[in-house]
Amino acid sequence: MTNAAKRTRSVGQSSGEHVNPFGDVANRANPDHAMTIPDAVRRCRWIAVDLNARGFGLFVIGPALERQVLSPCFDAAHPGIAIETSLIASGDKSEIVSHARMSSVPCWWSDEKAVPGTFPTLDWCQRIEPLAPGTSGIAFPVHYGRKCGLAVFFGPDIALEPHSLFDIHARCFSLFEAVMRLRPGSAAKIPAISKRELECLKLTANGYTSDEIARLLSLSVHTANQYLSNTTQKLNAVNRMHAVAKALRLGLIE
Amino acid sequence: MNSLAIRTEPDSYAGRLASRGDLTSFFMTVTAEIGADCYMLVTIQHDQDSNTARIIASNWIHDAIELAGHRLIARLAQSPAAMPGTRPRSIVPQEGSGGSATMSGEEAKLLDVLGHSEIYSLGVYAGGQHYFLLFSASDTGKIIPESLTQAQLRCCYALSQSPALVGVVTTEDRLSQRERECLSWVSEGKTTDEIALILGVSGTTISNYITHAIQKLSANNRAMAIATAIRSGII
Repeated sequence: MTNAAKRTRSVGQSSGEHVNPFGDVANRANPDHAMTIPDAVRRCRWIAVDLNARGFGLFVIGPALERQVLSPCFDAAHPGIAIETSLIASGDKSEIVSHARMSSVPCWWSDEKAVPGTFPTLDWCQRIEPLAPGTSGIAFPVHYGRKCGLAVFFGPDIALEPHSLFDIHARCFSLFEAVMRLRPGSAAKIPAISKRELECLKLTANGYTSDEIARLLSLSVHTANQYLSNTTQKLNAVNRMHAVAKALRLGLIE
Repeated sequence: MNSLAIRTEPDSYAGRLASRGDLTSFFMTVTAEIGADCYMLVTIQHDQDSNTARIIASNWIHDAIELAGHRLIARLAQSPAAMPGTRPRSIVPQEGSGGSATMSGEEAKLLDVLGHSEIYSLGVYAGGQHYFLLFSASDTGKIIPESLTQAQLRCCYALSQSPALVGVVTTEDRLSQRERECLSWVSEGKTTDEIALILGVSGTTISNYITHAIQKLSANNRAMAIATAIRSGII
């Protein structure tokens, strides 16, 4: 609370000290507010400012277990790509990828030359192989729905104040959510599927056969099948299983 | 505020939970710190025509769970399901407003009688799975909304460090590499014969893999197995 008060005051005085517009969770802008990638980069840059990090990047981790890769979303050099980002995205990243899939605990790494105990606040967290050489850094796992990601901050002078861990991580979560909402945002691509069709599809996903669906929804078996083949067509799928998978991945059903 | 100072000390989130007893006292501490009376940790199951809640830890009295029912609890958990960083809102509608999308006026009244006049639902991610944490209090305004994000992340950290405690059976371990591969091809719309061609083994073998995968995921058929696998992030 005191932090928030301090920040609000310094907005009024427009003092020399930096004012972070995203610094306080309670004053956070409406998450439904339309955001663009440059907005997200700005928000991320403010987190980096609070960590005194020189570089940052947001990475998405794909759902396929075989592909243990970090796909870059954006970084400090947006719209370009920073060298560090290419380094982080390449090579064997199975350690950090499987960690982020299973856990929300932050990871950190430290430059050999740096004084030991760069992040006293993170002593209890896993130390990982440096994602970018010659720096210290922190990687925050973030999750939204079935999407999983990693917000990475690094730099020679990066520091995490003991009190700000929760705030910073919460802002990473919120940033990731905003970015994930805007990515599949091409609403035009999602076909219009009627309520009844979705109902049938949802029941199919929950293991019901056409016969059972017909009985549950008081339809004839033909109608239930018709609904399902309509959905399959609309989703440009080849069969029911494919339609169920597509609908789940598009978030049409949960 | 004194309690805030205690909460931000590094030691407070370093602690690993070793037993169910630790888990209970951890939740009791967090519940008290945010000003709530009750907590409940649930996951959502999709096995019926509507979602039900599987309760993992809770200090609700038994009768309250019985009366509210697992379906209402599932709806409570899923209503706004705020992940860290979004501002949580109480999900019980104001008196006289006649209910909300989550619950009817009667259900709100029932929860009020049972001592859950305000309820917050927080999303928690640990062990590769999504959980929902319900904090409730007998009077509106008792829970401090500003403290919820910290509580939420602390629970994320604590459960991430001891996923076995909350009964996470990672389905990914149960499925073999080959079974997962087959399922992911099925989810791409491939038929048994096509998968047999792709993987260069016989169709019978593929059918066997898929049958085993369906059994391991305790699904009724292929479509359900696909859905379960996608929901739990296996494919």
